[in-house]
Amino acid sequence: MGASLPPKEANLFKLIVKSYETKQYKKGLKAADAILKKFPDHGETLSMKGLTLNCMDRKSEAYELVRQGLKSDLKSHVCWHVYGLLYRSDREYREAIKCYRNALKIDPDNIEILRDLSLLQAQMRDLTGFVETRQQLLTLKPNHRMNWIGFSVAHHLNSNASKAVEILEAYEGTLEDDYPPDNERCEHGEMLLYKISLLEECRFLERALEELRKKESKIVDKLAFKEQEVSLLVKLGHLEEGEALYRTLLSMNPDNYRYYEGLQKCVGLYLEDGQYSHEQIDQLDSLYKTLALQYKWSSAVKRIPLDFLQGDKFREAADNYIRPLLTKGVPSLFSDLSSLYNHPGKADILEQLILELEHSIRMSCQYPGRVEKEPPSTLMWTLFLLAQHYDRRGQYEIALSKIDEAIEHTPTVIDLYSVKSRILKHAGDLVAAAAFADEARCMDLADRYVNSECVKRMLQADQVTLAEKTAVLFTKDGDQHNNLHDMQCMWYELASGESYFRQGDLGRALKKFLAVEKHYADITEDQFDFHSYCLRKMTLRTYVEMLKFQDQLHSHAYFHKAAAGAIRCYIKLHDSPPKSTTDEDENMSKLLPSQKKKMRQKQRKAERAKKEAEEKNEELSASGASKSGKRHVKPVDPDPNGEKLLQVEDPLSEATKYLKLLQKNSPDSLETHLLSFELYTRKQKILLAFQAVKQLLRLDAEHPDSHRCLIKFFHKVGSINAPVTDSEKLIWSVLEAERPYISQLHEKSLFEANNSFLEKHKDSLMHQAAFAEILNILDSDRKSEAVKFIEESTNNIVPRNGALGPIREWKLKDCIAVHKLLGTVLADQDAALRWKVRCAEYFPYSTYFEGSHSSASPNSVFNQLRKNSENESSNHSGGSQNVSSIKSNGKLEAFKDLNI
Amino acid sequence: MGAGREVSISLDGVRDKNLMQLKKLNLALFPVRYNDKYYDDALASGEFTKLAYFSDICVGAIACRLEKKEGGGQFRVYIMTLGVLAPYRGLGIGTKLLNHVLDLCSKENFSEVYLHVQTNNEDAINFYKKFGFEITETIQNYYTNITPPDCYVLTKYTVQSTSKK
Repeated sequence: MGASLPPKEANLFKLIVKSYETKQYKKGLKAADAILKKFPDHGETLSMKGLTLNCMDRKSEAYELVRQGLKSDLKSHVCWHVYGLLYRSDREYREAIKCYRNALKIDPDNIEILRDLSLLQAQMRDLTGFVETRQQLLTLKPNHRMNWIGFSVAHHLNSNASKAVEILEAYEGTLEDDYPPDNERCEHGEMLLYKISLLEECRFLERALEELRKKESKIVDKLAFKEQEVSLLVKLGHLEEGEALYRTLLSMNPDNYRYYEGLQKCVGLYLEDGQYSHEQIDQLDSLYKTLALQYKWSSAVKRIPLDFLQGDKFREAADNYIRPLLTKGVPSLFSDLSSLYNHPGKADILEQLILELEHSIRMSCQYPGRVEKEPPSTLMWTLFLLAQHYDRRGQYEIALSKIDEAIEHTPTVIDLYSVKSRILKHAGDLVAAAAFADEARCMDLADRYVNSECVKRMLQADQVTLAEKTAVLFTKDGDQHNNLHDMQCMWYELASGESYFRQGDLGRALKKFLAVEKHYADITEDQFDFHSYCLRKMTLRTYVEMLKFQDQLHSHAYFHKAAAGAIRCYIKLHDSPPKSTTDEDENMSKLLPSQKKKMRQKQRKAERAKKEAEEKNEELSASGASKSGKRHVKPVDPDPNGEKLLQVEDPLSEATKYLKLLQKNSPDSLETHLLSFELYTRKQKILLAFQAVKQLLRLDAEHPDSHRCLIKFFHKVGSINAPVTDSEKLIWSVLEAERPYISQLHEKSLFEANNSFLEKHKDSLMHQAAFAEILNILDSDRKSEAVKFIEESTNNIVPRNGALGPIREWKLKDCIAVHKLLGTVLADQDAALRWKVRCAEYFPYSTYFEGSHSSASPNSVFNQLRKNSENESSNHSGGSQNVSSIKSNGKLEAFKDLNI
Repeated sequence: MGAGREVSISLDGVRDKNLMQLKKLNLALFPVRYNDKYYDDALASGEFTKLAYFSDICVGAIACRLEKKEGGGQFRVYIMTLGVLAPYRGLGIGTKLLNHVLDLCSKENFSEVYLHVQTNNEDAINFYKKFGFEITETIQNYYTNITPPDCYVLTKYTVQSTSKK
């Protein structure tokens, strides 16, 4: 490095490198300039100066200098290495790898470059390359532990676990018997556990167990040791030993559900589906009764039997489980129990049981059959539980009366308001739900959870501005809701995006959805540092697990939602592009001259203001950057409202990018293929649309949307003229060949297929709606028949014994969808209105249908209360008054008051 | 469970962040809406205003105002409100709240605590008498819209301040 320079400058060059490593960029810059004064074409110095400037946020100069440096000295590995580092800092990993490879051509044994290259290969999952590079590193420096480990991990990642084991054993062979020294016991233990997990992965179970026991004294993580041991024992079928070990583990942590599950497996009492025979249930019951005696403080041991017990035994166990928790006041009790509602019959038993508790406490302040008095809060918690119970069963009216009674009893408990908000949301009154969530929030301004919950409800009610203001209460001062982005607050961005989408603000919606997509890119990026860190720290099991997680990252639900949201925005943008300027001119021409003038003035003013603001921003960022090179300047978002996002050339091809990610990562989601169908139909890509249809049929052929797509597709294809070009002919022949394999269409006309679909699902509203919609598409003359058909459907009571109470079948969201179908697709406003009136009866709390109890109705309780409270507060603005007295059982306590 | 049914009662201060708890209590306990000055005074009184918690549920409060006595640096304490939610009465929570304030007065050498009470509110009057309060004055037509409109002033004089330590 710097070899071609005279001694003085060579020393300066070393100083540049050192300054770069120690982040003293100004110093480095000075040294570089000093060399360049004498040797203006010295390539390596130019490169290093560029690299230094890159760290001072002067990107374009950096690239220029580094390229110039490389040009002056193509044979320098330093210049290539620096070029690679520059690309790496911009996440251009493929380019960076090329640069490193060039550098290595010049200096093949450069350890630093090899190491950097290996990190990039791991990041990019260039696994064969990673193995090679790691091998080279090990060959060059076999006395470094990290090189052995890196080589082994590389093989493991490259699906060669047995080779990875061999390498680790070879590495162990290089160690002394008394290894490790005290300060490396943890790392060594981790390495051993990693090796054993590799053996397990290779199904060398006996060897793994033997090795594990042999090295027991060297493994520091005793819990991981036991868990690994028990896993091997079970896989080897040593169930008795396994049982004993699970019992040991349970005595260490009697609330770990996996240990209970393992124990059940060992004693032959475990079924994946939970459908145990009577005999098995009895055995399980007695097993857990013994365990409960041993682990008195475990809640898992009391809770698990509720899953398998049935009938009276379930009732008794549930009773015993619930009582102490109501006495203690455990707000999460309902969510603890909520999975039981999916078991047939249990919801009814729970209802009976809790109602009896409620009755008894109301009458005597005691549980049935007990003499102890319950504390006063028990009644409130019982009502709280009942409210959630009825909410879960869809009986919102009763749920609300219970929660109101609880609030009356103890108006200071925040959870009560949160639950009331949730019930209202389920019942369809999003505005009132947001109002009560806000009330909950106000009761503890230091609680981020209630704040977040409130923000979410506000967004669901499309109160975006208010939501933003509320969310900002918990961000760092000053940088407002950008901070939510920096904190990767994805639930917020998704909810906000959905809300903007509902309101038709596609720019802002896209902005939010794409922000989430960006977070996922950042999370992928974040693994980079761990490639070196984990090898050094030997947290190998976790490291490999993390890499596997990263490989699955984009299948996460939030990403799915964001991508689907973005695709929907682009589709909508394609269907109704934003008004072009010519449209605006047309609008203008309709105005009176004076109005025109005003409007123009306004526009001009707005433009001027915008320009000024932009200039200011530029100034700001420019001055920030030049002043102190290092200081991090917050980049100003040049497009805060997503207006630029709306100006894409071809929204559908943008959408395709995200669709491909969904197809790759969420291939089993119906939504993925519905979007794919919508997109490719618009792009006239017949075969791709057909593929989407086939995927839908594969996932759920009976779903109304699958049916819709299937028939729409063949209807559309049938209406296109006979094929002319070769490619059209090819497409036709493919469809021709495929159609007989689609059972729904087998030897049937589309009408017949539609009829037989209906026949299968006569009692379902959404299937009926799909039938009607398709009927109208196939023959628009039968539209009134379609409308009539929907209107004649009946809303029956749901069958009992399930989670739901005695309520009607139709769901609010389905009825809303049907209303939209009537109003837009079938375009029958009278029918839509009739539907609305009818649904307002079914859903009295729904704001969409303007039900009589919803906040959309002026006479609703909610609006009455609002008015009252407004009046009251104005009344009391000043005066003096009064008192109240209250007495209690025997003793007294009280009140009083006074004037101010 | 079983035997150990005593639930702990704890006191906590009032701050901006939980002021709503006091508001909710007052809304439930008293037929008046208090104005901002009441809450400002309560916050300003510091330790003299407390919320009472019954196993983590806020069920009662005492709110005081510190008043400067005429001509002197001495303070006296005016109890603006003291109340406990109906279901939670009879558990000693009011006593605990009042004792807290009285203890604080003697610690701080505040010699006078007083309050207003409606003349027919015998339970309240008896309650305060147990703690050494006495009727020191009757004010006619103190209240505007409740009957009787008259109130007593109840006062308790604590330690004779030998102020300097």
